[in-house]
Order: sequence, then structure tokens, then C-alpha cells
Amino acid sequence: MAASIGLATALASLDGPLVRAQIPDTSLPALLVSRQLAEAESLAVGDTVRISANPDGSEPRTFRVAGVYEPVADPMRFTAQRHEARLHLPDLLELTADPEDPLSRESVTSINVALADPADAERVSRELSAKVPGLIVRPAVRSGDAANVFVVIERFHQAIALVTVIASAVFLLALMVMLADERRGVVGTLRLIGLTRNRVILQVFTEGLLIAVAGAGFGVLFATATEGAFNRFFQWRYDTALVFVRITPRVALQALAIAVPLGLLASVAASWTLLRREVLTLVRR
Amino acid sequence: MRPLAFAWISLVRQPARAALGILGIAAVGALLFDMLLLSRGLVVSFGELLDEVGFDVRVSAVESMPRTGPRVTDATATAAGLTALPEVAAAVPVQIGSAELDDPAMPEVSLVGSADASESPWQVLEGPGLQAGRSDGRVQVLVNRNMARRLALTPGSRIGLRGTCEADSAPPRVEVEVAGIADFYFDDASQLTAAMRLEAFRRTCGIEGDDTADLILVAADPDLGPTAAVEAIERARPDLHAFSNEQLIARFQQVEFSYFRQISAVLATITLFFGFLLITVLLTVSVNQRLGEIAALRALGLTRRRVVTDVVLESAFLVGLGGALALPLGLGLAFWLDTILRAMPGIPANLHFFVFEPRALVLHAGLLAATALAAALYPARLVARLPISATLRNEGAT
Repeated sequence: MAASIGLATALASLDGPLVRAQIPDTSLPALLVSRQLAEAESLAVGDTVRISANPDGSEPRTFRVAGVYEPVADPMRFTAQRHEARLHLPDLLELTADPEDPLSRESVTSINVALADPADAERVSRELSAKVPGLIVRPAVRSGDAANVFVVIERFHQAIALVTVIASAVFLLALMVMLADERRGVVGTLRLIGLTRNRVILQVFTEGLLIAVAGAGFGVLFATATEGAFNRFFQWRYDTALVFVRITPRVALQALAIAVPLGLLASVAASWTLLRREVLTLVRR
Repeated sequence: MRPLAFAWISLVRQPARAALGILGIAAVGALLFDMLLLSRGLVVSFGELLDEVGFDVRVSAVESMPRTGPRVTDATATAAGLTALPEVAAAVPVQIGSAELDDPAMPEVSLVGSADASESPWQVLEGPGLQAGRSDGRVQVLVNRNMARRLALTPGSRIGLRGTCEADSAPPRVEVEVAGIADFYFDDASQLTAAMRLEAFRRTCGIEGDDTADLILVAADPDLGPTAAVEAIERARPDLHAFSNEQLIARFQQVEFSYFRQISAVLATITLFFGFLLITVLLTVSVNQRLGEIAALRALGLTRRRVVTDVVLESAFLVGLGGALALPLGLGLAFWLDTILRAMPGIPANLHFFVFEPRALVLHAGLLAATALAAALYPARLVARLPISATLRNEGAT
């Protein structure tokens, strides 16, 4: 059977042969088709379609397209073509029931349950599993599960980010070393006219802070500005409404919290070797 | 002094800067190398897995993955019909289901039923394997290493299985005998798998008399090849869908695996740009600090071409050393990232995201060389257009 039921309401989804008919009839049972299916089959609201649960298209039933919907973005299925239709549950059972099995008209694949308190999901699942043997009860959302595919993807992206931070730190240090070297004479002169080592360090620190804040801020702004382009490309590529990149305040703060101290550290480390030298060696040409 | 030696001296004159430059290139190069391994890793690894199974063509009633739609009906007759084709050497119907163990705390067992135990999608590691026509009628199973370890099973052990293959069927418990321990190519790291002959599978699942199959594995005639077999099957049974291993790989490359390919393309582009920026800045600052020296060398008779060569060679040294260091770094990083990604549920334990290929090495070297050249363009232009007398005058004044 090519049908699957997966909604909390009295709607069901069905993947199966679909043939477009020519004569619309408002007395026909209604169904909704996904945007992707509507585009692929050039369907519009008011069209009639014939659907069969059999692979050879036999025993079809005629439905009226009552609407086109955008499927809920599912990260687990973002590479799949969402050619789907939603029927009222009685229509689906009528279409797919086994005539020799009276129970098939009373059977559903799953029941979605909305809890009064979503935080109870794990406890309710455990209790129902214990009370009804043979019934598989799972919370719809599992967070923090080490085997969760999104936890794994997040860990992968964090690892890539770590490598990028290391490469950036080296780059930054190289830049700061060059900058410090360029200013060897200036630092020597400042020391000669009476500025203390601590005063110069404070100046280097302030400069480093300004550069780090400006650089990190630019990075966050650049990421925010390109977020839309990135999402639009992947949404176009996979024909999905899924959001791939989202720069949240937490992500922005995380980036600033890493980039600013790193920039400061690099500027102070690069200048430190310079400040440890004797004043005369700094100004000697 | 030869250009190579001269460029080397120019580079090591600032050892801290050179070391940081090389380290930066190494980190960027390692990430680039990993992205190249990732871009085709899944496809290569998936292809190797398919080849290991030993069948060239997969036939099912649905265009998508097996078990996502109707099954092949009249499986025995269908397999016999396919075997009769001259392009086909063997056709084995396979059914996939699940079963529960006696211990409810244990995870569900993936159940595989195959019509022919001699040509099957697994490799027996221990024990005699499935035998045809047992006189005592006992059901035999092959178990994977995970299941053998978790249940302390050895050939000859007995366990109880209750099939959960169909939503509307609740078959009785079946006692089965372990006939061996086998390696199932597509098992994930924690999966428990048991395989049995097709008739035993149907008995365990409570679907005796149901002559269907989720897929039919086909071995093509070695002389005619899988493409001819696919064409022959499509001609003989247009209602079925036949895919050669190459077609499956191409399809997965287009759809299922494309996310990692695109992510790797995006990251590879960013790392290359990053590397380009790093080398350009290093060389430009280095050249700017040596303008007087370069002008003096030009005044002494060094040609414009010679000083440009010096800059390009300096860039080549930075990228060459950094790139060489990137390879071991990249391999270590790839191992780490592969371990992270393989923890994903449902990923076969033998599948890898990062797979080494010689073409990745060639591409890595080529991309870094192109980056080195591109990064040297601006500083090379600076030294090529350097006004000798004005520079010497300015340097002398300061």
C-alpha cells in the first residue's frame, strides 16, 4: 500500500498514481495537493484528479483539488521530492482499505497526540508504552539525543568552525606581527618621548579592541546580509521552504565572543615582542 | 644567486612571519583537502559498498527506495523470468522486515529474507551459513556481529523472534537456530540484523503464502554487463524498475548526497579565498617593506622579470610548504570529521563521508598552485612597476 497517514487532524497524505481529469465537479470529495505536486502536474484549485492506491492505477477514485499547500519543511526529507496529497481520513480509508479485511477500515498507521504540557512527552511515552504492549510510542521531538541526525550535523559544523577559527587566528597573528613590525619606529619614538611601556600596551590594547570589534561586527553583518542569498539558493536547489542558515542573536553573540578576544590576544601577542625590546633597538635603523 | 635561493632567503629573513604564513596555508589547505575528500566521499564509498554486495542490478516495483511503496508481486515467477534472460546470470528475491526479541529491552531486529542462500547480500564470517531443506524443519538465521555480541550468540545458539513486519499481523514467536555470523554491508554501527531464507522469513513474519519481494537482486551476465541487463529487464518487465549500481550512484549523487557536495563546494571556495587573501597580504606587506632593496637590486642590473620571479617563487614556497603540511593535517582532520558524521543514525558502518582518491590530491595541488599564482599577481605588479630612481630617492630621504 502506497499510503501513509501522518497528521494530527483528520487529514491524511497519500503517495500514489495520480491522473488529471477534465471535468470539475464540486460534489466530489476534496483533497489538497502539495505545491511541488501541483507544479509538476500543472494542477490548480478546482481541477479533478483520479487517485489509485494500486501501482497499476486500477480502482481509481475521483477527487477535486480544493487547495494547494506548502508541505511543512522537514529537514529529514529535504532532498526528497514532496509530491504529496492530503485527503480526509474517511476518503483515504475508503481508497486504501482491503475489502477482505473489515479491520482495515478501522486501522491507522499512527495517531499524533498533542499534550497539554509538551514537557510531559517523554513521561507519557514511557507510560503508554508500558500500558499498551505492541504500541510504539515516541515523543515527536527528541532533543539532545546523541544519535539525533541534527545533533551530529551540528557537531560537524562546530568542528568545521573550530578549524576555521584556528586558521583565522593564524592569519590574524600573521597580520598583527606585520603591523607591529611596521610600527617598530613609532613605538620606539613614543617610548623615547616618555610614554611608559604600560601606556603603549594600553594603546595597543585599545587599537586591537577597536579592530577586533570592527572586524567581528563586519563579519556578523556580512553573514546576516548573505543569509538570505544562501537560504534562497538551497531552497531553490531542493525545492523546499526549509531555512538552512539563521543568524540568531545567540549565534551573533557567540561569534563576537570568540572573535573579539581572539583579535585582542593576537594584537597584544604580536606587540609584546616589540615592547620587550630596548628602546634604542626599536629606533635604530 | 639563483632565483630559488634568492626567494628562499627573502622568505626566511622574517622567520616568524614566514612560519605563520605557512601555518595559515596549512590550516586552510587542510580544510580544502577535506572538502575535496567530502565532495565525492559518499559517492565513492557507496559505490564500493554496492560493488561489495556482488549484484549489479536492483529491481523493485517502485522507483524510490524499496519499502516505500508496493512490492514485487509473484516474486518467485518474476525472479525465474529474469533469470531466463540471457543478460542475467542470477536473480534473488529479497524481503525486508523486522522482529522483536524475547527481551523487550533489546532493540528491534532488522530481518532479511533471501530466496537463495548461496548468492546473498551478506558475507558469512563464522559458522556453516544457511542450509537448504533442513530435515528437522528448524528455522535457521544468520546474525550480524552486533547481535552476536549483544546476545552472546555463536553458531548453534537458539533465540526467539516475533516478526513485526506487517502492521496488521501479529505472528507467534518462532524459535530459530543461529547458523552463522555474517557481515551485512549496509548495517549501521548499532543495528541488530538477522537473515534467513525467504520461506522462513515469511513464516516468522506471519505472511506465509505471500509471494512478494521488496526487491530482486540481479547479477548480470559478466560478458554482457549490467547496462544490457537493465535494458533487457525493462523490455521484459516494463512494470518494474531496474537500476544498475552506476545508475543508483548517479541518482544518489543528484539527490541524497548532494547536500554534502554543495556544502563542500561552498567551504572549498571560502577556504581558497581565505588562502588567497592570506598570501596576498603577506607578500604585499613583504614587498612594501623591501621596496628600497628591490629598487637597489634593479639599479644593480636585476631585470624586472627576475624580481617578479622572486615574488612568485616566494608565494610558491609559502603555498608549497603549507600545502605539504596540509596533507597530513587534512587526513587527521578528515578522520575526525568522518567519525563525527558516521555517528548519524541509519548510516551503514562501512560507509565513509571522507574518502581518499588520487584525483583529490591532484585537484588540491592544482587549486593551491592557482591560488599561489593569483595571490602573487598584485605584489608582482607592484615590483614590476616600481620606479627605480624615485624609490631610491625616497628611501634615501627617509
